[in-house]
Amino acid sequence: MLHIDDLSYVYKREEPPYRYSMQVDAGEIAAVMGSSGSGKSTLLDLIAGFLQPQEGCICLDGKHLEHLPIEKRGVSILFQNHNLFEHLSVAKNIRLGRKEATDKEIADILEEVGLGGYEKRLASELSGGQQQRVALSRVLLRREPILLLDEPFAGLDEQTKSQILDLVREITDRHSLHTVMVTHDPEDAKHIADRRYLMHDHRLTPQ
Amino acid sequence: MRQLRSLWVGWLPGVLAALGLLGFAVMLFVVLLRSAGTLSLSSLDPQTLHVVKFTLYQALLSTILSVGLGLLLAWALAHQPRFRGRSLLIALFSSSLVLPTLVVVFGLIGIYGRNGWINQLLFWVSGDDLGSYLYGLFGILLAHVYLNASFASRAFLHAFESIPQEKHKLAKSLGFGVWQRFWIVEWPSLKQTVWSSAATIFLLCFTSFAIVLILGGSPKYNTIEVAIYEAVKLDFDLPMALKLALIQLALTSVLVLLSSSFRSPITNLKKSTAHIIWQESRGIIWLQRGLILLFTLFFVTPLLSIVAEGVDAGLWQIVQRPIFRQALMTSLAVAILSALLTLLLVLVLSAAKRNFDMPTRLGRSPWARLWSLLITLSGNLYLAIPTLVMGLGFFLLALHSALPRTLWAWIAILTANVLMSLPFAMAVIYPQMMKISQRYDKLSFSLGLGRRERFFAVELPYLRGVMAYVFALAFCLSLGDLGIIALFGNESFMTLPWYLYGLMGSYQSRDAAGVALVMLLLSVAVFVWVPKLFGGRDVTHR
Repeated sequence: MLHIDDLSYVYKREEPPYRYSMQVDAGEIAAVMGSSGSGKSTLLDLIAGFLQPQEGCICLDGKHLEHLPIEKRGVSILFQNHNLFEHLSVAKNIRLGRKEATDKEIADILEEVGLGGYEKRLASELSGGQQQRVALSRVLLRREPILLLDEPFAGLDEQTKSQILDLVREITDRHSLHTVMVTHDPEDAKHIADRRYLMHDHRLTPQ
Repeated sequence: MRQLRSLWVGWLPGVLAALGLLGFAVMLFVVLLRSAGTLSLSSLDPQTLHVVKFTLYQALLSTILSVGLGLLLAWALAHQPRFRGRSLLIALFSSSLVLPTLVVVFGLIGIYGRNGWINQLLFWVSGDDLGSYLYGLFGILLAHVYLNASFASRAFLHAFESIPQEKHKLAKSLGFGVWQRFWIVEWPSLKQTVWSSAATIFLLCFTSFAIVLILGGSPKYNTIEVAIYEAVKLDFDLPMALKLALIQLALTSVLVLLSSSFRSPITNLKKSTAHIIWQESRGIIWLQRGLILLFTLFFVTPLLSIVAEGVDAGLWQIVQRPIFRQALMTSLAVAILSALLTLLLVLVLSAAKRNFDMPTRLGRSPWARLWSLLITLSGNLYLAIPTLVMGLGFFLLALHSALPRTLWAWIAILTANVLMSLPFAMAVIYPQMMKISQRYDKLSFSLGLGRRERFFAVELPYLRGVMAYVFALAFCLSLGDLGIIALFGNESFMTLPWYLYGLMGSYQSRDAAGVALVMLLLSVAVFVWVPKLFGGRDVTHR
């Protein structure tokens, strides 16, 4: 279980701190909703380790993560944009997740996300939806237990978004991931989330 | 639409100006070619060949060192986003563009010269010093690196900071090391800026004059520009000067063509605000801090030396001398006129180019691309026609003309200064005009705003700031130039750089220090205060 307990972070001293408490079980998706600038992405930055909390703990199956370096936290991230290095091929982008991955593993994973045979394509040649699928396949290859989604579907059309949401659901279930998804769209949350939280007034509350 | 039909007012002056500039280039070429008569360029004597080789060699070395050092500095600054005085430091490095070359050389002599701070320190510590080590290739490279590395670092820093934060976060979450981050995340965003800056720096060093004239030390270290100057002023050997000028013109034309695929417009130096999120290891942090500290020392000490020596020189006595006042007044007149002419020219050229590039205006017409290219070429003429070559052309015209020599000097110096400032001015004004058009053209046209209303109500508030910046830039570049004046300068036509050069040449170091300080203060004051006085908005931060 990913357990976040009374985590707090202050950007400016004169402002009240952002406070977060939440739980996500293995194989579950937690959606964090809220308006722009409410502090949703700050939560992901804290879990990933881009920001250091002033107080509180982030525990995965009882192990404290908050003092670990980013690369040792077991985290994969998907952003709205810039998930791939456009000048590299699809296969090279995926292999950045795990250097020792074999060609067969990469081919299988691409098959799993519906992009079989795309290994040699340049990332810049792919559509937005295809890029997100490649990024998801790298998540699969890394086999990290936590998946953080920072509004990765915001720029996609409805059909592609729905397909990728289903893919995230499937991946989370099959690989028992702890997925935290930040979104401003309640429909996305309804579509796949097991738990829903709202960020309001600097505080995260369950819905 | 009525507004579209009336656009000729926007492009005709620019097209005429561009044709005028290109016509001037052709005329200059004809004058040089006619005067050269039966000169044979096919057989180069060993001395000329040596000058050509050395010119290329020092430009190549200067470029490699400037780009390498600039890249290291930008990397360090990009990854140290929060320390006190960072903004000031970046602004200081950016100012190298407008520091008068001769003043920089004077500052470098104050640190690395025979009696400079380094030798004084060594003598104080060990009782011995390094002697005279500045003059020659070392001095030339040092000055070129001083001026270009700091300027290039600003462009590289901008490229570093334009990398999306997500890319850094992604790289960090994937466990990238520093080297992997550089190759996979940073280099793809940097390489275009690096190649284009390298091409521009190479061209600037290839045509460098004042630095080589003073720090070269001997004919062994002459570049083509200095050899032209010596042929005209010292040896009175016009055929030799013409031969060198034609070689220089041919080489710069080839270099401009070769580098045109690399060169993009010179970066508009706007304050950057992005900060990279990356917790560095302790060793890397110290390396970055060390680099910043070393470069700051390298950059600041010559300026401090100028201030220290200038304050000590008895400024009050110097500024009361008639010859100083004459030089100051001429310099101010030259700088103000050059800056106003540059501003006028860049506005008409950019407006015309914008009309040919915007699909909402004349961008779809069949000749639009050709006109746009011609305007770009006319704005970048300076890169293909080095100052001394231009000066020689005017010198020949003056020789065969009944007009007073001083009038030719004014025409030559103003033309050269305007052409020198134009590439930088275009790089600042044109993108801003395009941004305004992209954002407001459709709205302005749909509202039926007239040309005057569009300019004063929509464009001027956004252009005011960059216009002031261009004025300040052109003023400073003109104030510090020691190019044409080296051919036309005399007792009755004296500018501050020419006066300073004379003082340095006659070893009047105290007076030279005073004049250098005045030039430094004047440049910094205008460059800092003029843009602040006029303010202005940014289109993207409305």
